[in-house]
Amino acid sequence: MAILELKDVTKKFGGLTAVDGVCLKVEENQICALIGPNGAGKTTVFNMITGAYQVSSGDVVFNGESICGKKSHEIVERGIARTFQNIRLFKSATVLENVMTGFHCKTKTGMINVIFQPGKCRREEEETRQKSLEILRFLGLEGVKDSEAGSIPYGHQRLLEIGRALATAPKLLLLDEPAAGMNSQEKKELVETIRKIRDTYHLAVLLVEHDMELVMGISENITVINFGRRIAYGSAEEIQHNNDVIEAYLGRSDD
Amino acid sequence: MANTKNKKLLMILILAAIIIIIPVLTPNMYIMQIINMICIYIILGTSINVLTGFTGQLSLGQAAFFGIGAYTAALLNTRAGLQFIPCMIGSVLLTALFGVVLAVPALKVKGSYLALLTMGFGEVVRIVMINWTPVTNGTAGILGIESPVFFGFAFDTLKKYYFLIMIFVIAGIVYQNVILHTRTGRALIAIREDNEAAELTGINVTTYKIRAFVLSAVYCGVAGCLYAMMIKYVSPDTFTNNVSSVILWTAIVGGFGTVLGPILGGVIMQVLPEALRFLGDWRLVVYGAILLVVILRFPGGLYPYIEKFIENRKAKKEAAGAAGRG
Repeated sequence: MAILELKDVTKKFGGLTAVDGVCLKVEENQICALIGPNGAGKTTVFNMITGAYQVSSGDVVFNGESICGKKSHEIVERGIARTFQNIRLFKSATVLENVMTGFHCKTKTGMINVIFQPGKCRREEEETRQKSLEILRFLGLEGVKDSEAGSIPYGHQRLLEIGRALATAPKLLLLDEPAAGMNSQEKKELVETIRKIRDTYHLAVLLVEHDMELVMGISENITVINFGRRIAYGSAEEIQHNNDVIEAYLGRSDD
Repeated sequence: MANTKNKKLLMILILAAIIIIIPVLTPNMYIMQIINMICIYIILGTSINVLTGFTGQLSLGQAAFFGIGAYTAALLNTRAGLQFIPCMIGSVLLTALFGVVLAVPALKVKGSYLALLTMGFGEVVRIVMINWTPVTNGTAGILGIESPVFFGFAFDTLKKYYFLIMIFVIAGIVYQNVILHTRTGRALIAIREDNEAAELTGINVTTYKIRAFVLSAVYCGVAGCLYAMMIKYVSPDTFTNNVSSVILWTAIVGGFGTVLGPILGGVIMQVLPEALRFLGDWRLVVYGAILLVVILRFPGGLYPYIEKFIENRKAKKEAAGAAGRG
């Protein structure tokens, strides 16, 4: 069953059509990629899935339910989490606190019941802490749990963003250029990490990425868009031999 | 483990002893009045700390909430003859309502625009206090507010009243600390750090911003009610933009975003102008200069520096101890 399905999704900004009738399917437990040259509309697609933009026409169906018109935080509650191209952590909070913040929509303590049910709230807090530590351990970040999030190395910050996203217990994880700024060794580790996340947390992954080696190595399914339109769809093998894709990336030869 | 628990208990006992001993050692009513005002400003400093320090929403109109709380208590007491507790409840409910009223337009703006909006709100409330004469008695203000009485015990002197205020100061600080270490506090900090990332981490940014405004307003409402029933008189002169800035300064000097900063700020902001009285006309100039030096020398407020200083000393002591043993 498809966990996420974009049906003929179009986004217009005034007279400009940024995304034009794009279809996309992500199956459960699948790792998929959305690729395309700069300005193709990849980030716009992400923004429509997460509710930051409203679709102009078409439908976004997640887990059998249309999420068009839902607010971002409601979409997160339903099980879509994302990371950002330019890391956006809560910088002056600690690493642990960042992950704990991710548990927001899975916890209940409010401003009033904290007075009347202190025991229950303390238990929930402790449980949140333990689960957060578990995620940090999984990502190998336990050693820096008390550091300020903004002060840890770049690669760790990327992982922490994924950790914060995992805390929301997603069924689908959107990764926006997760390998940006990483060296080849770090990229190799990232591929392993993404696979491990998929297997441990039983979720689907949709990633936008420019690094073709990484994309081809990890994705079970690839969607290619250019100028807002879907130009190809299939396995890595199929995409690599698709003439439209080659043309979009390299240009047409005139002979 | 038991050792740290005992230490904590000891700290609480020492703190309780200090709190009890302060009014006993206070020689006169003048100083007692200053101490009570410090306590009220600790609550006010906490109010802006919640909104600006933790949630990142700059407010220059806290005096409006303070005033609404004070006037509500004054009116409920003098017109309806209500006692302290119902007056306090009235102040809390009305300021909470106005917290929502201000939050709704505040959701649409940020930064300096938000500062202007809140400042405007402060002015509107003050002008209503002056001109809505049938209710507020205009510039003359409201006289004849009664002291709180519980089961025949009247909090009719400043020293007795001090203990009443202290209950709210402690409750206010403890509540702030508790909230901070729950998902609510983390949501507020997330909003301060990155609005959009907070929303995409599953936090309903809109409702949490409203909650921050309401909580902040309620702190001011409590302070307002306590103020009205201590001074027994309210007038529009007390709730000016100037007071809003003193509230802001209380949090800045103490340390925005720290739980104990407002205590430090409250003491400094209330004691300093009194201690400088011997300077006569130059008093306010020196007062302003000292504050400037403080924020230039200690950006982020005094509390974080003191905390660091104590930690360093502890570390040095431990290092010395270890060297001694070795």
